Amino acid sequence: MNDRMKLLAGVLVFGSMWGFSEVIIGSQMHDMGLPSGAIMSGFFALTFLVVSRMTFKQPGMQLGMGLVAGGLRMFNPFMGCHLCSAIAIAAEAMIFEITWYKISSDTDYFKKPYMQASLGVVTAYVIFIGGYVITQILTPIAAGANFYAQNLIVFMPKILASGLLPAIAGGIVLPILVLSKKMDLTLKDRLYYPVTLGISATCWLLVLGNFFIA
Amino acid sequence: MGKEKVIPIFAIIIIAISIFSSIYVYATHVDKDTITIGDLEYTIDELFALVDEKAIETVEGEKTGISLEDLISKVGIGCPSCHEYTIKAADGYEQTVEWDILQTGILADIGRVFFPDTPKKFWVGDIIEIEVI
Repeated sequence: MNDRMKLLAGVLVFGSMWGFSEVIIGSQMHDMGLPSGAIMSGFFALTFLVVSRMTFKQPGMQLGMGLVAGGLRMFNPFMGCHLCSAIAIAAEAMIFEITWYKISSDTDYFKKPYMQASLGVVTAYVIFIGGYVITQILTPIAAGANFYAQNLIVFMPKILASGLLPAIAGGIVLPILVLSKKMDLTLKDRLYYPVTLGISATCWLLVLGNFFIA
Repeated sequence: MGKEKVIPIFAIIIIAISIFSSIYVYATHVDKDTITIGDLEYTIDELFALVDEKAIETVEGEKTGISLEDLISKVGIGCPSCHEYTIKAADGYEQTVEWDILQTGILADIGRVFFPDTPKKFWVGDIIEIEVI
């Protein structure tokens, strides 16, 4: 099987699932008054980013996933800030790429549970805070308004505080992901494309369907 | 120092930063029932008595409140287009907007501003002050 095509299908399926979870599950959690951004980063985003990196071991793939997920997020009919959410997703993917640039090829990080938990805390916190800050800067600019650094500076304590939940989630999720990776969940080659493209299409159809129904 | 020590230390520092930030945010949270505009304090009811209500269409549907354009005029701010306006929330969140954005918005009775053509990031809630700069 062509490795490049396989990777592309991986970008599409993981990016679509990430975008789908942001749009459908994230919106439901938001409506229920839950801290959807923190949960999405600490659980869903971290899961898709780490699983795809551990599976494909291909730096750059997660940035592509972020673009796919961000693109899907732009169709979200439930929450008003399409733009800032899409920017946050792409930013999270980019920050993950930077943070994990050498990690996936170094098995030392995954040997001991305390290392896995620590890496989960650091990764989840950094992608959440980084995504939050970049969104605060880029959203007004993209919307044609001015960015005022003072607005961001006075709000930094709240942003740093809001990273606690994703950090704790990351410390729990990453060891579980490493544990689950030990199970053999690989697909047979003849099923790879039908399954990945089928899941991707389902995610896009559900989101687009919601867009036209809402 | 090897990565076996660096990563856990980073994790501990991150947890400590977020806990101390949470304490700081809690300690500095402002509890007040009035909104400061310029140098004066108003309750929401007083502001709604000053200005007629209107509806605007946003990305989240129709929202009703008092026009910020009329409000700024009624509270006596001279030359509204000469200023910028920082809308501040009780939790420290704030957004500075220019007059051309502010004049399109409304203040709802829940103490939140809405604008028809901006991302939700600008919809500051639990407002305690509109600072005129």
